[in-house]
Amino acid sequence: MALRRIRNFSIVAHIDHGKSTLADRLLALTGTMDPKKAVDQVLDSMDLERERGITIKAHTVRLLYRARDGQEYTLNLIDTPGHVDFSYEVSRALAACEGAILIVDAAQGIEAQTLANFYLASDANLTIVPVINKIDLPAADVEGTRTQITETLELDGSEALAISAKHGTGVPEVLEAIVARIPPPEGDPEAPLKALVFDSFYDSYQGVVVHVRLTDGRVRPGMRILLMSNGRSYEVQQVGVFSPDMRPVEELSAGQVGYLTASIKRVADAKVGETITETLRPTAAAFPGYRDAKPMVFAGLYSIDDTEYEALRDALEKLRLNDPAFTYEPETSLALGYGFRCGFLGMLHMEIVQERLEREFNLSLIVTAPSVQYKVLTTAGEVIDIDNPSKLPSPDRIEQMDEPYVTSSVFVPTEFMTAIYKLAQEKRGEHRSLEYHGKRVHIKFDFPLAEIVVDFYDRLKSISKGYASFDYELSEFRPSDLVKLDILLNGDPVDALSSIVHRDKAYEKGKALVEKLRKVIPRQLFEVAIQAAIGSRVIARETVKAMGKNVTAKCYGGDITRKRKLLERQKEGKKRMKQVGKVEVPQEAFLSVLKS
Amino acid sequence: MRPGSAYPKMHFLVADNPSSSSSSILAVSAPEAKELGLYVHVPFCTKRCGYCSFNTAPLTDGAMARYLEALHREIDLLGALAWAPGVRLATVFLGGGTPSLLAVDEMAAALDGIRAQFEVAPDAEITVECNPESVTREKLEGYRVAGVNRLSLGIQSLDDTILPRLGRLHDARGARSAFEAAREAGCVNLSVDLMYGLPGLDLAGWAGAVDAVLDWQPDHVSAYGLTLDAGSLWGAAGVEGIPAEQEQIDQYWRLAHAAAARGLEHYEISNYARPGCRSRHNQIYWRAAEYLAAGPGACGFVGGIRYANVRATPRYCETLAAGVLPIESSERLSSRQKLGERLILGLRTADGVPTSWLETRLDGDQRLRQRLDTWRAQALLAGTGDRIHLTEAGFLLSDALFVELL
Repeated sequence: MALRRIRNFSIVAHIDHGKSTLADRLLALTGTMDPKKAVDQVLDSMDLERERGITIKAHTVRLLYRARDGQEYTLNLIDTPGHVDFSYEVSRALAACEGAILIVDAAQGIEAQTLANFYLASDANLTIVPVINKIDLPAADVEGTRTQITETLELDGSEALAISAKHGTGVPEVLEAIVARIPPPEGDPEAPLKALVFDSFYDSYQGVVVHVRLTDGRVRPGMRILLMSNGRSYEVQQVGVFSPDMRPVEELSAGQVGYLTASIKRVADAKVGETITETLRPTAAAFPGYRDAKPMVFAGLYSIDDTEYEALRDALEKLRLNDPAFTYEPETSLALGYGFRCGFLGMLHMEIVQERLEREFNLSLIVTAPSVQYKVLTTAGEVIDIDNPSKLPSPDRIEQMDEPYVTSSVFVPTEFMTAIYKLAQEKRGEHRSLEYHGKRVHIKFDFPLAEIVVDFYDRLKSISKGYASFDYELSEFRPSDLVKLDILLNGDPVDALSSIVHRDKAYEKGKALVEKLRKVIPRQLFEVAIQAAIGSRVIARETVKAMGKNVTAKCYGGDITRKRKLLERQKEGKKRMKQVGKVEVPQEAFLSVLKS
Repeated sequence: MRPGSAYPKMHFLVADNPSSSSSSILAVSAPEAKELGLYVHVPFCTKRCGYCSFNTAPLTDGAMARYLEALHREIDLLGALAWAPGVRLATVFLGGGTPSLLAVDEMAAALDGIRAQFEVAPDAEITVECNPESVTREKLEGYRVAGVNRLSLGIQSLDDTILPRLGRLHDARGARSAFEAAREAGCVNLSVDLMYGLPGLDLAGWAGAVDAVLDWQPDHVSAYGLTLDAGSLWGAAGVEGIPAEQEQIDQYWRLAHAAAARGLEHYEISNYARPGCRSRHNQIYWRAAEYLAAGPGACGFVGGIRYANVRATPRYCETLAAGVLPIESSERLSSRQKLGERLILGLRTADGVPTSWLETRLDGDQRLRQRLDTWRAQALLAGTGDRIHLTEAGFLLSDALFVELL
């Protein structure tokens, strides 16, 4: 296949600006997908993705398109994850492309992720095709959006295509623009193989299916390949393309996008960003930019039922086959017993892993309050990483504590500025810069990561009536005045409820937390005292009164079954409780640490 | 030969109704014990009480006659079961609804019908629930002659402002007269039902009712704390004036102490009796022993199977008119369920359960064992040698334990 008939592109957009809808249109228009079989938004194939309306995994599909010049082109659409938790994955997927369609919602205009994605695409030297979507909306402002594209992105707004992906208006022009504006790939098919891994997933029959973009050389079954970051060598079993289902082909060559299988056992062995070459004739240099995905948020995962520990470990192992971005290692909690400390890219990633464990492996889990990773300089002069509050050395052994900071962008209509600044202040944000873009402002803040991982995004959305958008990246560690906030139940500290908080916020947080716990901990045979403490100093207290009366007066007329079923239903509810000392603590109590 | 007990008829019943296996569940499920109880549900009430979620039906013209005809057919069908000649009824309990709406001849015919189909033990306990306004000395004498030897009077309260709010049709004086009528009619085993935790009932009012009723010297007292069942009028619509939790607890203890002072044994969560006067029929339930059911919505337990009759009275009558036992649902208990039931029923009583039953349940469940230690440490659960039982304080919290034991 001639390289000049290939286009490798991606679609990037702020969430809800219509990325998946446009992708579906392109598939339908090129006949890639049988409309009868069409499930809306085929690219979002995981159940969770469809429910949440976001793409978690990258997807790839090959479209065959006969352009108006009469030639047939192969268009490789490389879909990217749509959440800030996965920006490294996005950058690798973009590295596999020559161009990107940047969608801007005609009613919403440019948002934080539009900008973040635009920068990622520019950094990858992609040709950007701006597309203004949702022109059918009554609130659509096509001309205003063109101006915004010109002024904010410094692209030619007049060249932006105005479309309605929902109705199909203007979509054929998008296909033409892909062919006309995005350059074909370059590369030497005769040179040694050099292929970029931009996604991979585990298939129980074939092992890991690796998504690759070839820049040089060829790959075909039987060839021995080398994974450059880990030095492992494999024999290729199958190569193919996604159309959209996996279809084997004889070979993939320079410029092409497809998949290969090589009996690779774990996704972790063929990570996103990896360079694949020939074992016998390796390429000179790997692709730059490879890194291990680095977890930012850590939490303990415990099975409610102690007997499910093994099952949880097996499930984590299976899940990690497919998701090397999350990490886990065994940990022990005095309160919760044996479990795992898990690292996640962000809160969404954490929720996804938890949901998949519960749904796909039928486990009942307790997730402890998420923590970021702190750097602690001890009085002995050591620097240790702490991602679990219960592992924090005692205050007299701490010389200094540093916490991770992010630089962030908030895009918001000017009317919400005051509310945003108030929120930023509450979250220990530091203002960096402010730029006006018509009726909107782009504010940059530095935040402690710990303040934004939990409910920041939800709060931001609610105070701005959904108009604010947000993006961030990790910047640096800074010294901070942090303390460990402990929770005691009837005098005994519950390690799984501890958190690391800024000293100035400890009182407020402690008070909110014990109040919340009083509401979720049910009455027991005895009174339960809930205390929040810093060191030995109790800063807040609430009490759950002892149960007074819990009795069924009469099993009427020998109807025992009704009574038993009633109790059995109650028992189902109790299964979601964990016994901590003598106190029964429901699952949601552990999460209340982060929501208070 | 008993009327209607011809085997071919039974055979016909099964063949005629091949899809309804529950109709014949009793045919294939013989009782394990020789002695059984029989519960007969009489669904009719003149008026429905606010707190009541039991299966009741309005007493329209001819409804009683249709019901009694169906009941006779049901008893005949039960008597026709192959195993029926081998069992003996140790207790018969007519509950409701309002069984005392039955005229003397109707009551006599019902009991005759039962005796015609089943061997009834010579010392069988035969109880009828009565509402005070529906009984007279003459009627109760008639019941006694018909074989009734225990009466349970639904007094509930002696407060003439509370009684009408409950939907009861008697007043305090009527309650007293009914009790006296029962004694005059020769009833030597007489029980009184009371309720506490009622809307508008304070501790002083309750203490007055408790002391007054105990002065009458009943042989047995049942005292039920009000629970708002989903199926009751109050459960659906809500009700004002329910005493605070601590007030209800105080009311419970007021009766417990007064009853003890009068020599009544607190032998089950809600039941008190003079020595030797415990309800034999109810003890069948609490011992997870076997009993048959008759009447709409009645529940039975035979051969490891719990079953329930059709609830709606018209459909109950129609089903029997077609010659089919009106069993609507049945469930065979697993051994785990059986053990769970035995524990939660047995622990309702002061006699408790054999320690070995609890040990079987605790086998391998270290956590539950630890929790039971808390129950013991707080004197809610007590063991005397080879039996274990809830204390009076434990009764008040019993559901919290039962949910663990299932």
